[in-house]
Amino acid sequence: MLSMKNISKVFKTDLVETHALRDFNLEVNEGEFVAVTGPSGSGKTTFLNIAGLLEGFSSGEYSLDGVNVSNLSDNHSAKVRNEKIGFIFQGFNLIPDLNLAENVEVPLRYRGMNASERKRRVESALEQVGLGARMKHLPTQLSGGQQQRVAIARALAGEPRFLLADEPTGNLDSLMARQVMELLENINQQGTTIIMVTHDSELARRAQRNIQIVDGQVCDFSMYQSAATGTR
Amino acid sequence: MFFYYCDLAWRSIRKTPMLSMLMVLAISIGIGITITTLNVYKTMSYNPAGERSEVINSVQLWSQGLDTWDEFISSITYTDAMNLRNNDELNLKAATYRTGLALQSDNPKIEPVLQSVRVTDRDFFRIFSVPFLYGSYWDASVDLRPAYQVVISQKLNLRFFEGKNSVGKTVFLDRKPYQIVGVIEDWNPQPKYYDPLNGAFNDAEEIFIPFSLTGQEEFDVWGNTSGWKFEPMLTYSDRLASEKVWIQFWTELNSEDEKQNYHSWLTRYVEQQRAIGRFTDTAKTPAEAVQISDIDKWLEDSNVVPEDNKILVGLSLLFLSVCLVNILGLLLTKFLKRAPEVGVRRAIGASRGQIFSQYMVEVGMIGFIGGVVGLLWAWGSLTALHSYFSMDQSVTGLDASMWIITPLIAISTAVLAGVYPAWVVCRTKPSVYLKTQ
Repeated sequence: MLSMKNISKVFKTDLVETHALRDFNLEVNEGEFVAVTGPSGSGKTTFLNIAGLLEGFSSGEYSLDGVNVSNLSDNHSAKVRNEKIGFIFQGFNLIPDLNLAENVEVPLRYRGMNASERKRRVESALEQVGLGARMKHLPTQLSGGQQQRVAIARALAGEPRFLLADEPTGNLDSLMARQVMELLENINQQGTTIIMVTHDSELARRAQRNIQIVDGQVCDFSMYQSAATGTR
Repeated sequence: MFFYYCDLAWRSIRKTPMLSMLMVLAISIGIGITITTLNVYKTMSYNPAGERSEVINSVQLWSQGLDTWDEFISSITYTDAMNLRNNDELNLKAATYRTGLALQSDNPKIEPVLQSVRVTDRDFFRIFSVPFLYGSYWDASVDLRPAYQVVISQKLNLRFFEGKNSVGKTVFLDRKPYQIVGVIEDWNPQPKYYDPLNGAFNDAEEIFIPFSLTGQEEFDVWGNTSGWKFEPMLTYSDRLASEKVWIQFWTELNSEDEKQNYHSWLTRYVEQQRAIGRFTDTAKTPAEAVQISDIDKWLEDSNVVPEDNKILVGLSLLFLSVCLVNILGLLLTKFLKRAPEVGVRRAIGASRGQIFSQYMVEVGMIGFIGGVVGLLWAWGSLTALHSYFSMDQSVTGLDASMWIITPLIAISTAVLAGVYPAWVVCRTKPSVYLKTQ
C-alpha cells in the first residue's frame, strides 16, 4: 500500500542543513492501522506530509498504492490526494464560512462529481460520524469533538484508500478523544488504511502497529498491538 | 466549478465588507474617470458618415502665396468654389458656408429671430443623405439662376406651421420672402462633419438656402474667413474676388477611379490658375497642390478631437493604473490572509489551477461591481460636465457602447491586479498552514 525506501528530507538555509528524515524506510500494508509516535521534532509531521504528498523529499523512493509517486507534478499530486488520501488534522481545519455539508463536499467538488452524487456522499459521511442532523450548521456552532468528526466525514466522503491523521485527538478532552478513536477504528475495520501520528501512548497502543520515529528514522517496528498478521 | 467559485467569491466579498468596499471604490473611481474621458473622446471622434465616409470628399487647394501657410486650408475662395461648381464632370458637388439671417413668418405671434443659416447647393442634401419629411431640395436650375427658395427643419416647421406640410408656404429671411420647398426630418449629425470649423458639436442649421443667392444677397459669413495677403474689402464684390478662403467644397466620389480622375482635373485646374498668376506658392507640384479628403481625414485634419482630449485619456489611464497598484496591494493582503484556507483546499485535492481560478473569479467579481459603480461615477461626471461647464449634450451623453466597454475594462483591470496575488496564494505550500491553523 505504502512503501518508502531510503527517504531523506533536508531543509536547507544559508547557514545550516536540517535532516528531518534520513534513510527513512517504511512499508504499510493495505488495511493496516499504524500509529506513529516520537518526540517533538523527530520528523513525524514531515513523514506525514511526505506520505500525503503535501511535501516533496530530497532523495529516496516512495510508492503509493503500487504507483511510484516520487516525482509527480503538482496537478498529479493534487489528484492523488483528492482521490486516494484523506486527511485529519489536529486543528480540524474546517473552512469557517462553509456549513458542515459544504465543508464535507469540498474534495468532491474538486473531483468534478455531479451534484446528486455529492449530496449522497455528504449525507452518508455525516450520518456515519453521527452529524447527519446538523448539516446546515457552521463549524463554530459545534464542539471540538464534533468539528473533528466533521473533518473525518470530509476525509471519508471521498472514499479514500488511505487516511492520514495528524494528532487527531490532540485538541480534544479524553471523552471526545475516545469517541474519535472509536470512529477511526470503525473506519479501519471497513478496510481503510490509517496512519495516525500521536503523542498519546495509550491511543498508539490501540493501533495494530506502532512505529517510533527518532531523529528522522524509524527505530522500532516491534510493537504489534493486534493479533493481525500484517494484512487484515 | 465557475458557479461554485462565484458563490465562494460572493461569500468572501461579504466576509470582509470594508476591504471589499475599498477595492470596489478604487476600481470604480479609476473606471469612472477613464470612462468619462473615453466617452468624450469616443463621441468626439465618431464618424457620422458611416459607410459613406470614403464616398463623401472635401476639396482643398494650395492656393496661397509664397512664405505664407505651410499646410492645406480646409476652405477655398469664392472664385475657386464657383469654378469647381461649374465642372460638369462631377455627379454631385456642393459649395457651402454659414451665414445668419433674421427669420420671421406671416404669423404675428411669432417674433423675428436671428437664425443661423446654411448657404449651399442642392447636391448638399444628396451628398449628406439629408432625410426629408415634406417636399425636397430645390430644382437644379436654382443653383444656376438664383431663386428665393428655402429648406427648413422639422423643428422650425413645428414652431412656424404647427408641424403641418409647409411646402409652398413662405418665410421671411431679412424681410425677403423665401418659398419653402422642403422640410427635413430630424437631422443633426454629431460631430457636425460638414462644417466642423464652426463648432464641431453645434447643432445643424435649421434653414438652408441656395448658394447662387450669395452674390445677389451679399450674405455675411458666420464662420472663419482666412487670408494670406492684404486685400482691400470695400465692397462685397471685393470679397468675392479676393483670395480670402471661407467656403467648404464637397463632392461625392464613388470609386478610386473617380477620385483619380477628379484629382487629375483639379491638377489641371491648379496649372491653369498658376498660368493666370494665382496660386503663387509653387513649392508643390500642381498634383501635390490638390488634396481630396474623405470624412475620416477631414475630421482628423479639422482637429475635431483636440490634442488635450487625447492627453486627458492618457492621464486617466495612468490614474487607472495607480488604482490598479492599490488594488493589487489590497488583494495581496486579502488573499494572504486566507492562505490557511488555501492550504486546506490544496491538501484535500485542489490543484494550483483550481485555486488560481477561484481567486481570479473573485477579482473578476470585484471588478464587475467596480465597473457598475464606475459607470455610475461616469454618468454623474458627464451630467456634471453638461450642467456646470455647459458641455454639449451630444458629447456628454453616455455612449451605448460604454455599457459593454466599462465592465470589460473594469474586469480586465481587476484581473490584471489580481494575477499576482492569486499566483502567490495558489503557490501556497499546504503543509505550512495545516499545523498552524
